[in-house]
Amino acid sequence: MIRDIIVKWAPLLVLVFLVLLFPIFEWLEDFRAGKDHIYLLDSRFFSVRNASRIAVAATPGLMVAIGVTFIIIMGSIDLSMEGSVSISAVIFAFAFLALGGTLLSWAWLAIPAAMLVGAGIGFVNGLVHVVFRIPSFMVSLAMGFVGTGLALVLTGGDRIRIEDEVFRSLLTVRWLNFPIMCYVALLALLVAWFIQSHTTLGRNFYAIGGGEELAQASGLNVARIRVLGFALAGVFFALGALMAVGRIGIAETATGNNFMFISIAAVVVGGTALWGGIGGIPNTLVGILIVYVITNGMVVIGLPSWLQDGVLGVLVITAVVLSTSRKSISFVK
Amino acid sequence: MTHEILRPHFPWITLVALIVIVGIANPAFFSVSGFVILMADVIPLLIMAIGMTFAIYIGGIDLSIQQLANMVTVMTTVYLAQFGISVALLVVLVGGLFGIISGFVTTRLYVPSFVSTLAIGFIALSIAKWLSNQRALFMDATLRDAHFGWMFGNTMGVPHELVIGLLLAFFAWLLQTRTPFGRALKAVGSGELAAVASGIDVDRVKIFAFGLSGMFAAFAGLMFSVKLSGGDAQLANGFLLLAIVAVLVGGTPLTGGVGGIINTVIGTLIVMVIRAAMVYLEIDATQQQMIFGIVLIVAIALTIDRSKLRSVVK
Amino acid sequence: MYQLKAVDKHFPGVHALQAVDFEVQRGEIVGLVGENGAGKSTLMKVIYGAYQPDGGEIKIDGKRVRFQNPRQAMDHGIGMVFQEQSLIPNLTVMENIFLGFEKQFVTFGVVSWRAMATAARAQLAKVKLDIDPTTITSDLSFAQRQLVELVKVLTLEERIDGDLVILLDEPTSVLAEEEVKLLFQIVRGLTKRASFIFVSHRISEVLELSDRIYIMKDGAVVDVVHSNDADLDDIQHKMVGREINSEYYREHKQQAYNSNDVLVSFDNVGLQGSYRNISFDLHAGEVLCLVGTEGSGREAILRTVFGRDPCNAGRVKIKGEPVTAFSPMAGVRRGIGHVPRERKIEGIVNGMNVYENMTLAQIRKFARLGIMNVPAEKQLANEWIERLGIKTPSVAKDCGGLSGGNQQKVVLAKWRSSGSDILLLDHPTRGLDIGAKEDVYEMIREMSANGVGILLAADTLEEAIGLSHTIIVLKDGEIQKRFEYATGSKPSLYDLVHHMI
Repeated sequence: MIRDIIVKWAPLLVLVFLVLLFPIFEWLEDFRAGKDHIYLLDSRFFSVRNASRIAVAATPGLMVAIGVTFIIIMGSIDLSMEGSVSISAVIFAFAFLALGGTLLSWAWLAIPAAMLVGAGIGFVNGLVHVVFRIPSFMVSLAMGFVGTGLALVLTGGDRIRIEDEVFRSLLTVRWLNFPIMCYVALLALLVAWFIQSHTTLGRNFYAIGGGEELAQASGLNVARIRVLGFALAGVFFALGALMAVGRIGIAETATGNNFMFISIAAVVVGGTALWGGIGGIPNTLVGILIVYVITNGMVVIGLPSWLQDGVLGVLVITAVVLSTSRKSISFVK
Repeated sequence: MTHEILRPHFPWITLVALIVIVGIANPAFFSVSGFVILMADVIPLLIMAIGMTFAIYIGGIDLSIQQLANMVTVMTTVYLAQFGISVALLVVLVGGLFGIISGFVTTRLYVPSFVSTLAIGFIALSIAKWLSNQRALFMDATLRDAHFGWMFGNTMGVPHELVIGLLLAFFAWLLQTRTPFGRALKAVGSGELAAVASGIDVDRVKIFAFGLSGMFAAFAGLMFSVKLSGGDAQLANGFLLLAIVAVLVGGTPLTGGVGGIINTVIGTLIVMVIRAAMVYLEIDATQQQMIFGIVLIVAIALTIDRSKLRSVVK
Repeated sequence: MYQLKAVDKHFPGVHALQAVDFEVQRGEIVGLVGENGAGKSTLMKVIYGAYQPDGGEIKIDGKRVRFQNPRQAMDHGIGMVFQEQSLIPNLTVMENIFLGFEKQFVTFGVVSWRAMATAARAQLAKVKLDIDPTTITSDLSFAQRQLVELVKVLTLEERIDGDLVILLDEPTSVLAEEEVKLLFQIVRGLTKRASFIFVSHRISEVLELSDRIYIMKDGAVVDVVHSNDADLDDIQHKMVGREINSEYYREHKQQAYNSNDVLVSFDNVGLQGSYRNISFDLHAGEVLCLVGTEGSGREAILRTVFGRDPCNAGRVKIKGEPVTAFSPMAGVRRGIGHVPRERKIEGIVNGMNVYENMTLAQIRKFARLGIMNVPAEKQLANEWIERLGIKTPSVAKDCGGLSGGNQQKVVLAKWRSSGSDILLLDHPTRGLDIGAKEDVYEMIREMSANGVGILLAADTLEEAIGLSHTIIVLKDGEIQKRFEYATGSKPSLYDLVHHMI
């Protein structure tokens, strides 16, 4: 019981701990240099400006992580995010430029188009997984390769620039110190949370994750729910792609790079169990913040950037180990 | 039923069919010397795929091999001057160690292998970035030739690379088919519960399998680094997909227990022929990844043994 | 109202249901009893639609019906309250109750939790369970979960217009006495709306609750009694039935064991949640049988001896050596062989051939300089194929393709060829045809004569009595009674059943 409570709240505690930890290093540094420094108040890390920086960096990852959260709650896994993000980004960029190149023209259609592409890839993922009875990690891994490959074919390795000021205002226009994209992400987060907790589909993900055979016996159409889940995840991957393009103004094959590890890290570090049924969207928000607070904090206190990947690697393993109940599993492959 | 009987023969039939098709379209393909060169080119991939075979054969997967190979290219380049030829031993041991850690995390800490190996891969990436200062490094050509020149020469028209690859494949094949470890590996891959009930140390077998995967990945990294005369934290990127394709196309299914090293050799040759065909058909290199991704999906669907999956596929 | 007529069900090698007639009247509570393997669970699966019978017919109100799946049976008012927990632990109580039927609470795609909670509360009131329907199911006690299971089925009441038939499979096994009383009260109260089929090992409870009782044995209904004019003894006798044929179990070959040579010794051993205070000695040449119902702890004891479930109380000695580290690897090294119940999954490796399976427990012995000596393996396999009469086209035949009896012989050969002198047999004859069973009995006698100590969990009581020197009756993880005897003075089935339930 106590273990359950710790596991439930540990991610949030870790986040708070990290947020308070990094300023200590800054304080120590200034203390040694003999400068005046009031803990937290004079911190470069613990400031609105830096919070905004973290938020902007985290938005694309958050969208992708939300997508994969739905899948992990079902007890499956989707590893197609890198390919899905790349191909969504590239198709968005092409459509956007072809349709006028500014959000104030028909080019806005490129946004729903990209989301459709994401949903389509997810749909195929789910369909192949369910119909051919292939484990989801493998189907989605392969689909991811196909997505990246397709993006490469379309771009021929080139970068596509999106210079429309209206679209770029996602990043450039700030309300209350935070760029618009943060608010868009917040909206998407709320929608995801709503789907998770207030729709039959969302609840059925939990039912499948908690006991697929039991859910099937209760009359749920598990195959259909799975396919829908993968399609939904695809939509959020596409949103991640839009955010990523909005952030740097470039769509390319490499747009999707690193999202696989970051998003899965965020989900498991946030406390969603890989076995399904436990966790959810709020956990993923905490998880992605932990990931980016670490990344950002390490830069602020001057730790080398190469450390990040390794730290995340260790963190992921620790999180999975902590969230795993030994008794419920006999063999792991 | 006929499908079940034919299944073990699919891989080589596919290979022969592909060779014939490509050969008819382009008779130059049949030239022995051209074939030998093609094969020599594919050796690092073969070595990686052989390692991966061990991981898949026990029903797992090793997503860290690409990052391990990357790290090894950097390590080799950095430590060549200091250790000379012994750097080979060093990197293979380090690769094995990483694999063993993956295996340990998978079996003893109950982390599924696709997550544990992914995470371990990122730890390797971290080390690669640190050692390389995140730059591409270059080897001293004289040092390289002095210590590793033997890797890429020719003896009577036979590239040394090819010999090394075949020796390693033979060694792996021996291990898989003729040793107590290989027998235990088969038992674990075919029926893990029965293996436990027969007193086989299943965890140790699995850890060792991941260790082998790491060692072979490291050796492949070593070859890359010598071949390209340098090291970089991204040098081997792209090989993960090809290695998985080679194993699965060869007929070792994700469900483990069937197939093996010979199959992977065939699978690697299939990959090689497809690549050669793409060159001949003037298919742009940018399409390679997409094509192999699709090949992968088809291969998984054809090889997977559904009777072995539990009723629920996640 | 609900009727089965001459229903038959076959499985490969087993005639699981033989011309079963079964009938439930409106508002009636019908009991169903029988030993493990008597066909109760198959019959239940036919009733709630998980199996389709391959002979006979099912009628509701005289109309013939056929169910493809449980959902269709539910639509005809037939619901099943499962013995094993069928609730999804991470969902709330109300979500479990309405799983698959959420549509009634959805408007414009949004689930109204409030409406669902209200409806759930109304359902829970039917069984007088006063819990918050938004509680997470895993936080409930077993008794509460059992009631929620019942509630889940009772939602049929509103969905279906016609009569209801509700199956209760061992609903009392996790309940305390008070809770059982409450459950019975609730069930009786519900008979206005529904009929019940009550399946249980606890015959006294079946007698108390049911109006009529069907007694099953070997896939057939042997008797139907009215609970008013039946008593416990009577039912128990009918359940176990037939006389033992001593020839069948090779009783004349039974020899006295060597009581000086103790192979396995348990001294007050316990494993939390499975068994406690277990003490016994297994001697060379002895066949010691553990008898008890499912969950009595006998499987767990076998697993502890083998090293798979470490005990957490008491002392275990094997061949005089105290066991400190439990693992199957260590067990095999100590000379223990395990013939598991799940032969196809744990017994043989499906995908490995006959000789590979036979040498699996002794791979290292067949390695020369690190290379497997295959000819030696084949030679060993051929010897044992001849010795045990294993029918296989060759030593290279995949074991998965052999018949059940031959697979079991391969498993036995695996342990005997590696020199195991302690053998754990977990339902060694399950699913075998009669000829193969006799072969296994023959082998047990032979091994026993050779000084092998055998710990047996038998498939039937007759088997237990026929084969063993010693029988230990277990109930709820504790030893109830111990029978020591020689041929000719064996206990009767009734003696055993009496202590089991």
